Amino acid sequence: MLLHDINPSIKALTVIVCVLILSVFFDPVTPMLTLAVTAAATFIFGKVSFKRWILLFSPFIFMALIYIWSALIFSRTHEGETILWSWGILILTEESLQRALSLGLRVLSFTSLSLLFILTTKPSEFLLSLMQQCRLPPKLAYGIMAGYRFLPLMKEEFEIIRSAHRIRGVPKARSLPEKIAELKRYAVPLLAGAIRKAERTAMAMESKGFTGDKNRNYYHKIAVSPKDWLFFAFFIAMVLASAYISWFFGFLQLYNGEL
Amino acid sequence: MLEKWKLREVIVLSVLAVVFAVVYLVFLQFGNVLYGVFGLIGYDLIFGIWFIVSIIAAYIIRKPGAALLSETIAAAIEVMIGNAVGPRLILSGMIQGIGAEAVFAAARWNNYRTWVLIAAGMGSSVTSFIWGYFISGYAALSPSYVTAMFFVRLISGALLAGLLGKWLSESLAKTGALSSFPIGKEQRRRKSENGFTA
Repeated sequence: MLLHDINPSIKALTVIVCVLILSVFFDPVTPMLTLAVTAAATFIFGKVSFKRWILLFSPFIFMALIYIWSALIFSRTHEGETILWSWGILILTEESLQRALSLGLRVLSFTSLSLLFILTTKPSEFLLSLMQQCRLPPKLAYGIMAGYRFLPLMKEEFEIIRSAHRIRGVPKARSLPEKIAELKRYAVPLLAGAIRKAERTAMAMESKGFTGDKNRNYYHKIAVSPKDWLFFAFFIAMVLASAYISWFFGFLQLYNGEL
Repeated sequence: MLEKWKLREVIVLSVLAVVFAVVYLVFLQFGNVLYGVFGLIGYDLIFGIWFIVSIIAAYIIRKPGAALLSETIAAAIEVMIGNAVGPRLILSGMIQGIGAEAVFAAARWNNYRTWVLIAAGMGSSVTSFIWGYFISGYAALSPSYVTAMFFVRLISGALLAGLLGKWLSESLAKTGALSSFPIGKEQRRRKSENGFTA
């Protein structure tokens, strides 16, 4: 069984519910366990290579480190906390270290859940599933699919505009006003091109009989089966079990707005 | 709501949302740099940029729901492309969209003058700030700092969303790409009033 075969809507629901449950707690252990299990599931059942995963994950490690760093520096130390280390005005207490770790691991556990979804789901299948399971209007779903398809086209067009400017000898922008003018020179034709293409796409769709009717049929059917709900139950149970283990060792705390 | 929309309006809305989702992600990195320099208020300096698709979509399409829908889709696309905030971002997008939509609704969706666009940008500032106050724990910061953040965000919403959005939409209309939309028709009418033929 692969994660790719799980119904995309239910996979998304699982990620959202897991994130909601995780956001209630504030301790280092719960997100760490969740992170480990989620990452393992992505590798084993998602057949995602570690290289690809870490490439997307590493910017968030960097961000988590910044989070931990700022939580350590700017945290308000309260009376009666155990001091681990101090240097001038920098005071590191056991409690602030735990807060910082909680914050960093929290971000990383959210990221691992998001990556599990992103790396094992095709956007088009997700949209088809949203239409078939969640009653998303087909007009909107196919519109978003068309828009998504435009992104690589716009990248190409950007290259073309840049070459065109270079051939006509437009100088490189140096000062700030020049940079703003340059931005306009790119943004307006890119957007205008995208809008023109969007209108042509709409015309093509309508000429082929697309009405946006909700009672349509689908060539590519996306079904829901018991294994999808099994997946859902497993992940919720996993997060709750992590919280239980954390509680068992006396780490568990509820989140009340620490930043 | 969508039944009354023409297909080309829906697709143009989606395309705008997708394009600005990418812009939003780029500005998130820029915001992190400003955060490093100025602290939390750094985000507020450029916060308005994250409302711009509401203004542009509403100004071009001029139908109820354009502001809310475009901002929500943009947030959903940001999550799909990959974002640390995760699914919560969709809720933030919706709340920002509601702020702008409320102003357009108060103008009965038939007034798109400059001041309405500016007010819509500020409307998003207000709703997003209230949301941020609760979700990000601004309560822990000193009241004068929070007040300063609020006014910076308000101005940012007025300028970067309201005015920049208006300017960008009108630049687009000048290319003729929007000729079948209300904004294009308005521009043609204005031109013919000035004695030019479109």
